[in-house]
Amino acid sequence: MTSPGIGDLAGRPVAPRMADPAEAPSREASEAPGGFERLRELLLGGERRELADARARIAELERAQRDLPARLPDAAVEALRNEQGNPRVAAALSEPVAQALGAAVQKHRQSLVDALFPILGPMIRKSIAEALRSLVANLNGAIESSFTARGLKWRFEAWRGGVPYAEVVLKHRLAYGIDHVFLIERASGLVLHHASAPGLPPLDADAIAGMLTALGDFVDDSVGGDVGGALESAQVGADLVWVEHGPRANLACFVHGVPPAQLRTLMEQRLEEIHAHLLALPPDAPLQSLGEDALVRGLLAPAALLRDTEEATAPSSARKPSRVPLLVIGALALALLGGLAWSRWRWDARIDALRARLAAHPGFVLTGIEARAWRALTVHGLLDPDAEPLDAVLAGADLGAVVPTLDASGYVSTDDAVIARRAARLLAPPGSVTLAVQGRVLRLSGTAPQAWIDAAQARAPWVAGVARVESSLSAAAAGAGDDAAVAQRQARLELERVLAELQARHVAFVQGVDPADGADAVVDDLAASLRRVTALAPAAKVEVGIRAYGSNDESGGSETNARVRAQRAQWLEHALAARGITGVSVADSAQPADAPNRRGAELRATVREAGP
Amino acid sequence: MNASSCKVCMLGDFGVGKTSLVARYVRSTFSDKYLTTVGVKVDSKEVALPGCEPVKLVLWDIAGRSALDAPSTSYLRGASALLLVADGTREASLSSALNLLMQSRSTLPDAVAVLAVNKLDIVERWEVAATTLAEMRRSLPVFETSALSGAGVEDAFAEIARRLVG
Repeated sequence: MTSPGIGDLAGRPVAPRMADPAEAPSREASEAPGGFERLRELLLGGERRELADARARIAELERAQRDLPARLPDAAVEALRNEQGNPRVAAALSEPVAQALGAAVQKHRQSLVDALFPILGPMIRKSIAEALRSLVANLNGAIESSFTARGLKWRFEAWRGGVPYAEVVLKHRLAYGIDHVFLIERASGLVLHHASAPGLPPLDADAIAGMLTALGDFVDDSVGGDVGGALESAQVGADLVWVEHGPRANLACFVHGVPPAQLRTLMEQRLEEIHAHLLALPPDAPLQSLGEDALVRGLLAPAALLRDTEEATAPSSARKPSRVPLLVIGALALALLGGLAWSRWRWDARIDALRARLAAHPGFVLTGIEARAWRALTVHGLLDPDAEPLDAVLAGADLGAVVPTLDASGYVSTDDAVIARRAARLLAPPGSVTLAVQGRVLRLSGTAPQAWIDAAQARAPWVAGVARVESSLSAAAAGAGDDAAVAQRQARLELERVLAELQARHVAFVQGVDPADGADAVVDDLAASLRRVTALAPAAKVEVGIRAYGSNDESGGSETNARVRAQRAQWLEHALAARGITGVSVADSAQPADAPNRRGAELRATVREAGP
Repeated sequence: MNASSCKVCMLGDFGVGKTSLVARYVRSTFSDKYLTTVGVKVDSKEVALPGCEPVKLVLWDIAGRSALDAPSTSYLRGASALLLVADGTREASLSSALNLLMQSRSTLPDAVAVLAVNKLDIVERWEVAATTLAEMRRSLPVFETSALSGAGVEDAFAEIARRLVG
């Protein structure tokens, strides 16, 4: 190996270097004869220069690092401007920006809320308004068709197809058409693209687009306020204009009929696609050529919009809702209806059974049953007083908590059983007598005291309902006690009859205490009856009290009538006394319980058992 | 689209004859009632220029006023040209037209501007001096028009179209 002489290892001459103060200590530490220093320079000179260059580069990098915050914004803007469709910077920044946003949401939530509030409010309001508008439109359609034959048909179609009723309604309400589609430059109102449905007359698209833009500006300036609202729809009769607004262009559709809300959504999507297409153009590039773009023409063709809207509204098999809830609801409804029907059937069966028992009850004529199922029941009919009470029949109806009520009027029954009860009540046969009725023929058999037999044979034909009497009674040797009892009973029966006749008569008055014609005859009859009562009472072993009452009609004042009643009662008492009848009390102004509405005077009797 | 469209706004004081000029120039689609309700009426006219592609002028006839308010300013957005209209019999209308031009420059700094001094049919009653018009011709194209006879109307719009194409 040969020495390179003065120069580096590559043979290049080495320039004399200024002494480096940083190297002074090292040099002093390695103070050695001059040959050694030279040798070191020869051996390490290259590395030392590389080291110096590295130090210089590090210093430059540190300086650049210090200047980076100041240069970063301009550098980022410059880089984004020079990207030319290759979004490397944007892609590189997306991740840290997303992380920074996430951190900001966690740490500075209020600041973000304050910053986004002016944007979020209008967005939310617009979204809610749009949703409500769609909802109202759908509801209107649904309500209009809910209770018609067509609505029922649509409901069946929805059930059969497993799709919501609203979708079927919308599908059938697609009786609309798109007449014109305008893509309008937002700033100038100039037409970027215009398409019309076939067969429509030509129109001045530029003028219409301009006026539509002017109207939008007018609405915005007039009622938009600070929110920045815009004309989104206008309707005259069946013609409708829907406008969707974008940052650089607006999309307007002139529609006739009632379009579904999906058309609006489709317009939004189409406008977004067009704006995505516009992103390829510079922000200040003219948009006039957009109308020539095949993509735009395809997106905005009225026929394509109609087709895509119908596809969006068509029922989708993928969105079939589960039928289980409907089936469960149906089963519950059927169970409820079945329960109600079963309950009603049970009620009707019990009412029918009650009706049959009532119809078969002697002495009762059923005229009707008024019932509310398991709530109330009223039986209407005619009931003979001598018939068996209906309580047992009604109690046996088994109507749950319902207590039947009876609304009965009296009548005289000719049923054999009732006639037998009536005859027994009126004839009061002793235990040795058998009383039977068949075919309205009253048969008396057995033995009885002669006095009772005589009385029964005299009275039996008069029992209501009895057509004929057949008697096979034989007289029995009566004891003293039996005769007395028979005599007492007959006396009571006679007394009862006489008193009934007595109380049925009255003395009539013309005015005040001026008796009408025939009054004296009536008083004579009353006196005769009272004498008969006086004779019968001891035999019947009763005490009879007679009281004279006056009565009046409805004319006159109450005080006057009270006075007149007392005068008439006294008149009758005096008249009877004049005929030798004493012991009649005067009721003064009191009225008898039946309060007859007439000008008269009458007697009322009270009977009580005589004391021992 | 066969012709490129350009938005032209017509500005001028009340009664100078803007609407009459438009009516003379185009067959209107919309009624004049929009001028009193919305404040603007839009029409269009295709202009054929020799040796050039035809230009469709979309004319925004803005209701007459001496100064721009907010709605009028919004109507100016995106306009490529301004047709300023003044009444030759009212010198004040010329000042209003120039004032409107100055105001609109903040919205439309690069828009083509042409001045039409209307009512040429009664030129004997003009207040605007010829020297004034000559002075103004140094700054912008000036046309003396008559909506009644149609004189100068086509020329004014053709000038706008030429300048837009050029």
